Amino acid sequence: MERRSLVPYLLILPAFLYLLFFVGYPLVQALYLAFTQNGALSLEVWRRTFSDYYFWSAFKYTILLAGIIVPTQVALAVVLALLMNRVFKGKDAALYALIIPLTISDVAAGLIWYSMLSPYGFINKLLMNLGVISQPIYVFGYEYRMREFFAIVIAELWRSTAIVFVIILAGLQMISKEYIEAAEVFGASYWTRLRRIVLPLLKPSIQSALIIRTLFAMQIFGIVWILAGRDIPVLAGEGYYQLTEIKDAGVASVYALVIAGLSILLGALYIKFLRAEYLEVGE
Amino acid sequence: MRRLFGVLLAAVVLFAVVSSGCISPGGEEKVTVTFLSTQLNPPEERAFVQEDLLKGFTSETNIEVNFVPISYTDMVTRLEGEMQTGKVTIDVIGDLHGGMDYMASKGWLEDLSTMPKLEGRTFISTFEQYSYIRGQKAYVPWMSATYVMVVNKEAFQYLPKGLTEEDVMKGTEKWTYDALLQWAKNLKEAKGQPELGFPAGPKGLFVRFLHGYIYPSYTGYQAKEFDSPEAVEMWNYLKELWPYVHPSSTTWDAMADPLLKGEVLIAWDHTARIKNAIETKPDQFVVVPVPRGPKGRGFIVVLAGLAIPKGAPHKDEAWKLIDYLTKPDTQVKVLEKVGFFPTVEEASGKLPEGPLKILAEGVQAQASTKDALVVMIPNLGDKGGQFKEYYKQAFERIVLNDEDPATVTKEIKPDLVKLFEDVGVPVP
Repeated sequence: MERRSLVPYLLILPAFLYLLFFVGYPLVQALYLAFTQNGALSLEVWRRTFSDYYFWSAFKYTILLAGIIVPTQVALAVVLALLMNRVFKGKDAALYALIIPLTISDVAAGLIWYSMLSPYGFINKLLMNLGVISQPIYVFGYEYRMREFFAIVIAELWRSTAIVFVIILAGLQMISKEYIEAAEVFGASYWTRLRRIVLPLLKPSIQSALIIRTLFAMQIFGIVWILAGRDIPVLAGEGYYQLTEIKDAGVASVYALVIAGLSILLGALYIKFLRAEYLEVGE
Repeated sequence: MRRLFGVLLAAVVLFAVVSSGCISPGGEEKVTVTFLSTQLNPPEERAFVQEDLLKGFTSETNIEVNFVPISYTDMVTRLEGEMQTGKVTIDVIGDLHGGMDYMASKGWLEDLSTMPKLEGRTFISTFEQYSYIRGQKAYVPWMSATYVMVVNKEAFQYLPKGLTEEDVMKGTEKWTYDALLQWAKNLKEAKGQPELGFPAGPKGLFVRFLHGYIYPSYTGYQAKEFDSPEAVEMWNYLKELWPYVHPSSTTWDAMADPLLKGEVLIAWDHTARIKNAIETKPDQFVVVPVPRGPKGRGFIVVLAGLAIPKGAPHKDEAWKLIDYLTKPDTQVKVLEKVGFFPTVEEASGKLPEGPLKILAEGVQAQASTKDALVVMIPNLGDKGGQFKEYYKQAFERIVLNDEDPATVTKEIKPDLVKLFEDVGVPVP
């Protein structure tokens, strides 16, 4: 009896120790760096961060990028998953093409798009050879921040829509055929079936995808760093920059904590609404 | 079978004895000199030092060298520890002038004036003067680097009135920032797009141009006159110049590629970062001094030196290493392999015709202009990044976002001055 009650704890112990050492310790260290100044408790580091010229624009751009990318890619993934959820010729090839970006890191994706969009890159060369343009179109540079912004959105959509697509396709395949057939018997059209049966049953998958993507979108960095440098500041990028270039570990910690705080807040909101949804679905 | 085993065993034992060094062929003990350096730390440079440069020294003198690439902060921490305990293990230090200045002020460096003379070389006089700190010979000048302008010869067709190719090549008083603006205007009109480029990308060195070139040229100082009327005039000049600067400048980290691709005809950058362009097309480019401003021709000299800490365990062997590293032949080799310039006059005579000579001549021309204002990068240790940040921020706000220069510089200056006060370095 005694032994058996210890077993689960022993099983969880390695993972617990791992988390304690690799997550817990750095977290405590970050809190220490953010809330102390010369060893005494102080909010000086927070004051320094909030008065930093780049802080609010980094905050703004991070939210803006997430706000544009996440909803767009979820909608895109639903459409793609519905298209792929039927049998047609070349389905496997199409599936591979959609899932390939899943295997690519954000930095690599950034580099691919950078080399395609650069002044003498593939896209400009193609347009110039077709005679559409005579001078290369510049996408990168401080003056073209809007273009850089859209380049980031496109690259990020290309890279991270795959994971949303996989989750939603799996959700689609879990929906029992019986519901659909029953609806067909009663003469429901495709749109009615989609609105009344498929989408409601997909909600849990959509919401898991939303949570995962939103949390990762708060940490967006690699792709931005490569495509726009610091022209478009983002929270994770500024944290990195403060630590490596300015050597201000305190301010870097505050950036990290702001990202963590945002993630916790958004995660909590999602879970709150998610729970209610699950109850409805499970009727 | 048994005999074979015996022979094998004897062979193994013999091999073990020899290889363990019990009976060494030389008979004498090899000395190992410990050489800490904040320079030549990137992997490919490190490989050159260990595989090539120091191997030559060991084969000449039979002295082994333990080369330790290290950051400035770590080096100072280690040296301070050794000085306090009195157990010094470091024989030679290679670092920039600013770091040497700090270590000398702490009294950690040996006065080298008592050491035997280094024969067959003349150190460049400016460098020699800098190497005496508070009356003691703190270090031996080792390598130098600077930032220069590179001109594609095609650009000379569009020179403004009153400015000749010779003015630019020699750096006469006619080669001014205003002339550069006029030249950049002519180029844009002729070519239909801006032809002047700066490395203003996230890892580019454009910030050095701001604090070490144009600031001293207009105000006479790097930071002291940060918000003076002269500084405001300088920022207004940059605002006027910027439409004639290639818009991709804010994405470039090094100018060699844009020059080679023909995206720009004139560029400013660190010698190491334009070297590749000169080497690829030596007939196409010339290296010229930077323009001058109202207060003179400000430019940065990065000077690295070699020093011996007080109480170093192998002082004589350390001096032999310093002797080897500052020989004209060694200096030429370093220039060829890693692009740092010699500190001894005899080295440039040994350079073969070609790209390196073009570079060295341009650097020499800049150093010997009459109105030269030599600038050293302030030694702020960890705070160096913060220092650069203030200039980058001023540039972004004033030039890129069109804010008022007087307001922005007034806002930033107190923080900039405080930075120097915190570190305890006079405001340059």
